[in-house]
Amino acid sequence: MKITLPNAGIVLLVGVSNSGKTTLLNKWIDEQLILSSEVISSDEYRAVVGDTEFIQWAERPRDEADSLSDDYHALSREAFRLLDYALEARCRLNKLTFVDATHLYAEDRKHYIGLAKRHHVPITAIVLDIPQEILLERDALRKNPRGKKRVKQQFQNWKRELRFIKKEGFKSVYFIREDDDIDLIRKENPLLVEVGKGIDIIGDVHGCYDELMSLLLQMGYEQNEEELYIHPEGRKFMSVGDIMSRGPESLKTMQFFQRHVEQGLAYMTDSNHGWKIARWLDGRNVELKHGDEKVAQEFEQYEKEHGSSKVEELKETLKKFLLKAPSHYVLEKNGVKTAVCTHAGIKDEYIGKQSTTIQDFCRYGDTEEINTDGKPIRKDWYVHHKGSLTIVWGHDPKPQPLRINNTINIDQGVAFGGRLTAMRYPEQQFVSVKALKDYSGTSDNPLKKWEIERLIPPNIEKFINGYSVQTEQLGEVKIHGNIAKSAIDTVSHYTVPIEQLLYIPPTMSPTPSVSALLDYLEHPKEAIEYYRNHGVETMVAEKKHMGSRAVLLLFKNQAVAKKEIGFEIDGVIYTRTGRRFFDRLTEQEVVRKLTEELTHKRYFEKYQTDYVLLDAEIMPWNLKAKELISSQYAHVSENALLDRKKIVEKLKSANDINVENWIREYDEKLNNAEIFKEVFQKYCWDIEETEAIQIAPFHVMAHSEETFFHKPHTWHMEMNKEFAKDSSLFVTTEFKIISDSNSEKEVIAWWEEMTKEGHEGIVIKPEIFTSTFKGRLIQPAIKVRGRKYLHIIYGMDYLSPENLKRLKNRNTGKKQKLALKEFSLGLEGIRRFVDGESIERVHECVLATLALESDPVDPRL
Amino acid sequence: MQLTIRATGENVQVLSHLLAKNPSNLYERTHKDHAIRLFFSTFTDKQMEMTIFVTPDPLSLINQSSGAYDITHYINDREFAVSSIFTSLIRPALSTALNGKPKEAYEKWVEHSFSFHFSFGPVATELSEQEIRNLFEPLGYEVNIEFGETDYSFQIKEKSSACYITLSGMSTLQKGLHQLFVLIPVLDNYKHYFIDDTEIEKLKRYGEGWLDTHPEKEFIIRKALRFKELYDQFEKPEENLQPIRTKQLPLNELRYEKIVDKVSALPKKRKVVDFGSGEGKLSAKLGFVNGVEEILAVEPSESETLKAVKRFEKLKEQKDFTMPTMIWGSLFYFDERLKNKDVIILCEVIEHIDEERLPKIMALILAYYQPSALIVTTPNKEYNRVYAMSDEMRHSDHRFEWTRHAFREWCEQMNHSGQYEIAFEGIGEEDMQYGSPTQMCTFIRKENQL
Repeated sequence: MKITLPNAGIVLLVGVSNSGKTTLLNKWIDEQLILSSEVISSDEYRAVVGDTEFIQWAERPRDEADSLSDDYHALSREAFRLLDYALEARCRLNKLTFVDATHLYAEDRKHYIGLAKRHHVPITAIVLDIPQEILLERDALRKNPRGKKRVKQQFQNWKRELRFIKKEGFKSVYFIREDDDIDLIRKENPLLVEVGKGIDIIGDVHGCYDELMSLLLQMGYEQNEEELYIHPEGRKFMSVGDIMSRGPESLKTMQFFQRHVEQGLAYMTDSNHGWKIARWLDGRNVELKHGDEKVAQEFEQYEKEHGSSKVEELKETLKKFLLKAPSHYVLEKNGVKTAVCTHAGIKDEYIGKQSTTIQDFCRYGDTEEINTDGKPIRKDWYVHHKGSLTIVWGHDPKPQPLRINNTINIDQGVAFGGRLTAMRYPEQQFVSVKALKDYSGTSDNPLKKWEIERLIPPNIEKFINGYSVQTEQLGEVKIHGNIAKSAIDTVSHYTVPIEQLLYIPPTMSPTPSVSALLDYLEHPKEAIEYYRNHGVETMVAEKKHMGSRAVLLLFKNQAVAKKEIGFEIDGVIYTRTGRRFFDRLTEQEVVRKLTEELTHKRYFEKYQTDYVLLDAEIMPWNLKAKELISSQYAHVSENALLDRKKIVEKLKSANDINVENWIREYDEKLNNAEIFKEVFQKYCWDIEETEAIQIAPFHVMAHSEETFFHKPHTWHMEMNKEFAKDSSLFVTTEFKIISDSNSEKEVIAWWEEMTKEGHEGIVIKPEIFTSTFKGRLIQPAIKVRGRKYLHIIYGMDYLSPENLKRLKNRNTGKKQKLALKEFSLGLEGIRRFVDGESIERVHECVLATLALESDPVDPRL
Repeated sequence: MQLTIRATGENVQVLSHLLAKNPSNLYERTHKDHAIRLFFSTFTDKQMEMTIFVTPDPLSLINQSSGAYDITHYINDREFAVSSIFTSLIRPALSTALNGKPKEAYEKWVEHSFSFHFSFGPVATELSEQEIRNLFEPLGYEVNIEFGETDYSFQIKEKSSACYITLSGMSTLQKGLHQLFVLIPVLDNYKHYFIDDTEIEKLKRYGEGWLDTHPEKEFIIRKALRFKELYDQFEKPEENLQPIRTKQLPLNELRYEKIVDKVSALPKKRKVVDFGSGEGKLSAKLGFVNGVEEILAVEPSESETLKAVKRFEKLKEQKDFTMPTMIWGSLFYFDERLKNKDVIILCEVIEHIDEERLPKIMALILAYYQPSALIVTTPNKEYNRVYAMSDEMRHSDHRFEWTRHAFREWCEQMNHSGQYEIAFEGIGEEDMQYGSPTQMCTFIRKENQL
């Protein structure tokens, strides 16, 4: 006889003592059909907890027998408790487990059936049906005979139970007789799909057959003689369901998938519409709405054209096809699972398992609540997703593929006039085809609704008591309530409007360790070492501009700005604290000049974008910091010079007393004060006209459809050149590449030279914008400031040995952590904006950076 | 930071005894890593010049105090400018002279007047040259002020904010030093100067014999003890405008009264939201309106909230008082708790918001919160004429002030979908030409929209 076992779940051996359960399992272990670790037996656990498998009380005086019997039951209770624990653990891990115990009572079996259900695994019973004589014979030969009386008693009970087993809720029940020849078959997990040459995961098609065809062609699929779509590289495609309803050609689409799935060229998961249609085809009484009625109409039409027997045949085929669709697929690369495809959502603990609960969840998502107009409120199942598996899903139309928490929604509402998306796996690239029209014929268009709701002010409740942001680069970043509140306060009073505030540049750490050289605080050597120690061989060293950091958001025209951010503006320029950089009039003038230049260069056409988001430095320093310079730097410089000049003067006028040492000391101090004065002036110049303003855009953060965090800095520098070419405001950034010891020497010499003149210094970055080492994000940039420049940061006398010694005790740990958090928050926010996510989701990141910035760190770092 | 004492004439050499310093030695002491040094550069029969200067340790000066997270904490003038830090550091070195207790043989010289030049600096002061003169000239000094250099490569300031002052005149050494010890801290800008009782005592002691008759006595005392003054000065500029009006209630009271009357007259008023409730004055008054059962006072500022809570606590026991609930909130965020209320009030709120951000806020209120009534008040710019103001605004944080026409136009624009009836009124005494100081618009949601 054949016994087919699922890949996971519980297999209960059922049979009285001596029926051969252990013997059978041992035989399978010997034949290497099962693993010994797959078997858990009550006898073993009795030994584990109580040192013995059995306690014999037969033929003892009554009082002794009673006591021993109590002991045995206590032993069994503890053994089963442990056994259950192990079994549940194995179920959670989706393993197959054989439970070797008698399982003679319905109640025992019910316990395991419940347990299996709770863990969404199938349960199978293998029943050993052995005659009483054989049982008695075997018992007599046993090491610890249970005794005739007990065996007979068990057997009687057993005979009564036997009839009911089939109806108890096992997925399958096998009865084995004494001399049955057993063929044990173990099934693979049907949900696993090896990625192989690649899988193209396709979002909800909804009967949009034409768009599906162009999508497949665009991805390189070719039609063969049998009208099957084959990829020359051997790729396959996979649908996340909802291939029918709403759109114009559900039948054709279903037939298409049915044929390709049958041929092993494609896959399709179950889905809410799929399930509805399947039950309708199965003759169930279901109400067809939300576009399902169109499917029925197509069948009627089909019947008119092909007759009733053809239509029945088709219905039967499609019904079987739809009913067979699994809740989800687990994609594996080299036998390691890396991604999950499902229709509406999945919980982490469901992955790789099958049950009606899971099937339902994957069809509809998390839908516990019903809103006032009777529609289910979708709950955000994806916020609970943890771990590295990428979950690809559809069901809920979004204007752009939506990446949240390592889940990717690829339903771009083709039936609603949106797009049909495919995500190529493992490349994770998106290919999409625009819908030929809006087929849905409903005013309740989720894409339009999304667009309208996208700019609704963020919900304050999500932030005020603290929150966390899931970032792609760094995982969860936590924000405490008190700093969130202070950031909300800032946003409410000082910043540009929330919709324009897309990005706050991160803080930057100076060299993680101070210079090993005696008379330097910072030196390029330590920055280069940091990167080499973190696996970065090639670095880009950029000359650091001394001005003020600024974010520029420039639009192609006011109409696209209205669409993107809800404001009819040409652009906006703001500081690292989110405040408007210039006064309004200057901003208008600067933005107008910049957008005119870009338009003139045909920038927006060339890059097919509606806007550009730039991270830049705006010079001169006095543009933004005039007040600070006047009241701090100039003021301090004047005081120092006056003080030191007078003292030197007085000392030098001393006649009869030796003050040489004091003179030497004060000459040095006077020199320091003069350097101080020289240095801060270096970054200032008069600005009568906007022409005197210089803007160095060193990072291109985003275009309409794209972010540039994967690009090398050399690319960003190329873009910088392009902006600066023939520009009245944009300027270039000088840079050098460090790739070996020669170029390293060159950069250090360059740094020495420029900083000797009082220039601020350089910023060293890893070649690639976002770099990691052993899977962890590393500093995106490290600043190395010049010896002279640091006079205006650490004080004019900082280089005196006793001062420098103390200053070298600085610690950049907190600054570095902050830089990483702010960096990943910045990127996350921009990505969300580019992906068309709600302004609330973008603001979540921006607010977090503002909040982190309100947490104090040493401002000299 | 330095002080040079120069004296000319007969007997100037006795000054070394009054100072209790040997002119042929260098004096150097350290106190908390700051070096205090003194030397005589000239010491002849008729000329004496002594300089005392302090070389502070910049790092211990800045260590670990409150402002440590601001760069201005690290780069500032404290290391150079003469200040109370300076006077307290040099006090021990000059104690003999300050106390007028030299060796017995020289006691008679304590009361002797010499021809002095006291030079000190750098001085970082907000006072004008004239104000500086007014401090010293009444004491019989000729004042010479020398400013630092401002030869910068770009335009930043006309005149240096550092100066070096020389006072010339006849005085006893002790009195001259007393005057300097009082007036140097008075000149200095530094605001974080801690004043305790010993300072008051010191002021009395050093001021003896000259301060009482000084024409700027009040000013000197106030500046010397300015720490307490800071509290008294604290008042809102907006409130300062109101004394111009007559015996009538102040404008803000009138405003609250008007709003309370308005709310009382509304058919629906059970649930009221007071946006930007500040210290809770309006919310407290609303608490006594018949028919009001819930007041949400929305305010993001913590200090204001504390004041409001105190105010509400006091009223708690009063009959028929509805306790307002404080909510931490902002108009720029969606807040579920504010949906479907009867009345939302924006009393003197909108003018504190950039004009471009207002449409969104109004859309949020009118389309999402959908109150039955919305009351908005804002200053009437025209009325500023009555206050004899020119172009300035009534409050430094006002982003705009509108004429009646501008306000009306804006309200109509905000109500573009026509879901509300709107009506305008003035608050405060009405001027024939310029209207009332405050203008108010009431939005009432139309019946069929409910």
